[in-house]
Amino acid sequence: MWAYQKKLEYPINIKRKDLKMAKYLMDQYGGPYGELNAALQYLNQRYTMPDERGKSLLTDIGTEEFAHLEMIATMIYQLTKDATTDELEKAGLGCHYVSFDHATFPANSNGVPYTAAYLQTTGDYIADLESDMAAEQRARSTYEHLMDLTDDPDLIAPLAFLRQREIIHYQRFKELRNYYLKNKI
Amino acid sequence: MNNYNIDRGYYNYINNNYNIPTYEQDINKNNIFDPYNGLIRGNMFPDLYNTYKIDNPIDIKPMNEQAEMLTYIDALCFACIDLSLYLDINPNDKDAIELYNVYRTNLGEYMLMYQNKYGPITKTSDSLNAYPWKWNDSPWPWEKGV
Repeated sequence: MWAYQKKLEYPINIKRKDLKMAKYLMDQYGGPYGELNAALQYLNQRYTMPDERGKSLLTDIGTEEFAHLEMIATMIYQLTKDATTDELEKAGLGCHYVSFDHATFPANSNGVPYTAAYLQTTGDYIADLESDMAAEQRARSTYEHLMDLTDDPDLIAPLAFLRQREIIHYQRFKELRNYYLKNKI
Repeated sequence: MNNYNIDRGYYNYINNNYNIPTYEQDINKNNIFDPYNGLIRGNMFPDLYNTYKIDNPIDIKPMNEQAEMLTYIDALCFACIDLSLYLDINPNDKDAIELYNVYRTNLGEYMLMYQNKYGPITKTSDSLNAYPWKWNDSPWPWEKGV
């Protein structure tokens, strides 16, 4: 089971409203390389990991991805909270407003709804881990693109934190993959 | 209360080696960030740390005493998360297990103090033995202020 902690993994306090950034951040919410997809991908793959190391690593990283999903939602919420309908429309969020008002919804930055078809999972643990390594690298590069698009330190700090987590997750997946290959597991 | 002993030298540590091919040695406790410096980097392991766009990690600036205490919890919680991932695939590293348990113990102490003073973070907190139901107290994590 899962237990909620009433706190974020890393604090977020955004003072400046920025609807364009909110729109771009949706890629990491409901996009193909977003946190939701990562969480579901790892938590589906964990059942067919060949040993205890794989089961625990996939469980723990999958769980952490949900904390990251909450961080992305928090950024989007704080960036859009006080926006008027007019401001949302000017930032390209008119279509979002029509369907969802100020609510969060897992879609990418172009409004394409999240789909489980994004999940890269096969039941072959080497293939799965290599998909996970690629997913972490893609997410790292998405965070770099997001950091390129803002100068607000209140946003850059959590984005830099999340980017760094992708690097660590990538490294751990790679170490596990290498361990399986080396020990012929 | 500020017992993290922040070493400014860490701020100058920049490399670009996230693509290290192997990393199989046991961790060296002297070469690991303290919890606060790990939290602001998103990484407890100097060997794996690299930066993008910003040269130095951004300090967390708590707005009040409650936020300051929460920063200690965030840091210790983060240290446990990051060490856990390492231990999942290096389960025989005694030093890392010892370090994990130091941070886990400290985290428990700070959680107890914080929750008794400011309200629950977990559903098992003693602070929930109160009327009316304390879980409902604002702010929620996504709201500004804490």
